[in-house]
Amino acid sequence: MVKSNKMNWKSILLIAGIISIASPLFAGGPWPQARGNGYFKLYQWWTVFDQHYTDTGELDPNVTTGVFNTSLYAEYGLTDRFTGILNAPLFSRNYMNNLISSTTGETLVEGEAINSIGDIDLGIKYGLTKPGSKFPVAATLILGIPSGQTAGGSQENLQTGDGEFNQFIRVDAGTSFKIGKQTNAYTSLYTGFNNRGNDFSEEVRFGLEAGAGLLNSKLWLIGRLDVVESLKNGATAATVNSTSIFANNTEFSSYSLEAAYYITPKIGVSASVAAAFRGEIIAAAPSYSVGVFLDLKK
Amino acid sequence: MKKKYLPLLLIALMYGCIGNDYLMDEVEPELRISASLDTIAINSSFQFEATYLNNVGQEETVPLNWESSQNGIINIDENGLATATNTGQSTISVTYESPEQVYADSVTVVVGETSVVIEDDRSGSINTTSSYVLTGDFTIEENGSGIVVTFANNYQASSSLPGLYLYLSNNPNSIANAHEVGMVDVYIGAHQYNISEVGINEYNYLLYYCKPFNVKVGHGEIE
Repeated sequence: MVKSNKMNWKSILLIAGIISIASPLFAGGPWPQARGNGYFKLYQWWTVFDQHYTDTGELDPNVTTGVFNTSLYAEYGLTDRFTGILNAPLFSRNYMNNLISSTTGETLVEGEAINSIGDIDLGIKYGLTKPGSKFPVAATLILGIPSGQTAGGSQENLQTGDGEFNQFIRVDAGTSFKIGKQTNAYTSLYTGFNNRGNDFSEEVRFGLEAGAGLLNSKLWLIGRLDVVESLKNGATAATVNSTSIFANNTEFSSYSLEAAYYITPKIGVSASVAAAFRGEIIAAAPSYSVGVFLDLKK
Repeated sequence: MKKKYLPLLLIALMYGCIGNDYLMDEVEPELRISASLDTIAINSSFQFEATYLNNVGQEETVPLNWESSQNGIINIDENGLATATNTGQSTISVTYESPEQVYADSVTVVVGETSVVIEDDRSGSINTTSSYVLTGDFTIEENGSGIVVTFANNYQASSSLPGLYLYLSNNPNSIANAHEVGMVDVYIGAHQYNISEVGINEYNYLLYYCKPFNVKVGHGEIE
């Protein structure tokens, strides 16, 4: 399948890729919220990078670029099988450093920044198996709303969103178990397909996740592996008038580690780090996240 | 609890301040005579010009000292205006004495019946300095008040760089003071750029640069 070459320059950006690294951090697992239960998190996610994976997977330098999102994440059990999902970057900032001559000290290119709301994700998860199943399976549909800014700065290369409406459908399966007599643990895996608009290439995504609740389940340690493979069926830089260095067809394999600590039975804090260890056309730097959450099911 | 974790969020936000990246853009300064005059007609004059490029490849106005090795054949004044008075040949030299170093260039000129300005074509090869594909040979020739840059069939550039631009520059690492030719829209095979109001000896490098993200992709020295 070859898509048309009508994608405009707004639809291409690294930001789409680097935010993708953060995306698997939420909406994962085959466990819908029970009706009336919910999980809400206010978190700060950011990455700053001065090199990137090129189209051949090698590392090249770039002007230091940062992306910062202050986001609200929410899951709410509409029924015992349907869970509504929201991830809203309420404040998103993208900046690039000044470029200074090391010889003269003169500013060659002025750094710039933009601030706006980011791309909002709306989703719904449906439990394909009965609540309480030993091996639950769930399907999730996430709609990526292009609410962010797609062109900012004098070069119009700063973005807080990718400008495309995407539909990501995924299936999760997993199981929970105990390690020893007291430690609750779980593991799950998923696969999904991301249908993207504006001549972005479609993506196949898959990954796995495992977590264990220590200290009587007050401290959860979670590890994830995620892979995004582009079908590379979208527009290429050669066919569009893009101002971006980073074209379509982002790919990566990444890991992430997260720790979540319940300060009270309902309120806790979390911190995570994620990084791509293989990539194409994506930032080569870790992303970080810290947040405060409210877990109504506890 | 808000007070406890607010500083973390603030630190994260403040980390988003615009900082400075430094570009290693130092080059060897040079002084060069612009026109390639081979023969000057006897009893005629020719205005020599020279360009000084500083340590970032930027043209700079400096005091020049013009000399002729054979004053009886070609005389030259302090402004570079040469007059041929007898047959023979002379070496025309220009020097600039900076506080640190003396820069010089020279050209040997024959006095003959008619003036002959050499119109040498220039050429070179572009090569990548990044992980993106960039390769090919090129020639540059004068075309009226401009130049024509012609790439050979072996030219190839990565199409994964949407913001790939071509510049004429005197600094292989910087587009400051460079002439922007335009956005690259040919990624393989022979093609040409017609560039007006640019002298054939005005620039020393073809520079491929990703303009939106200020990343050099590669360059070719114009020889």
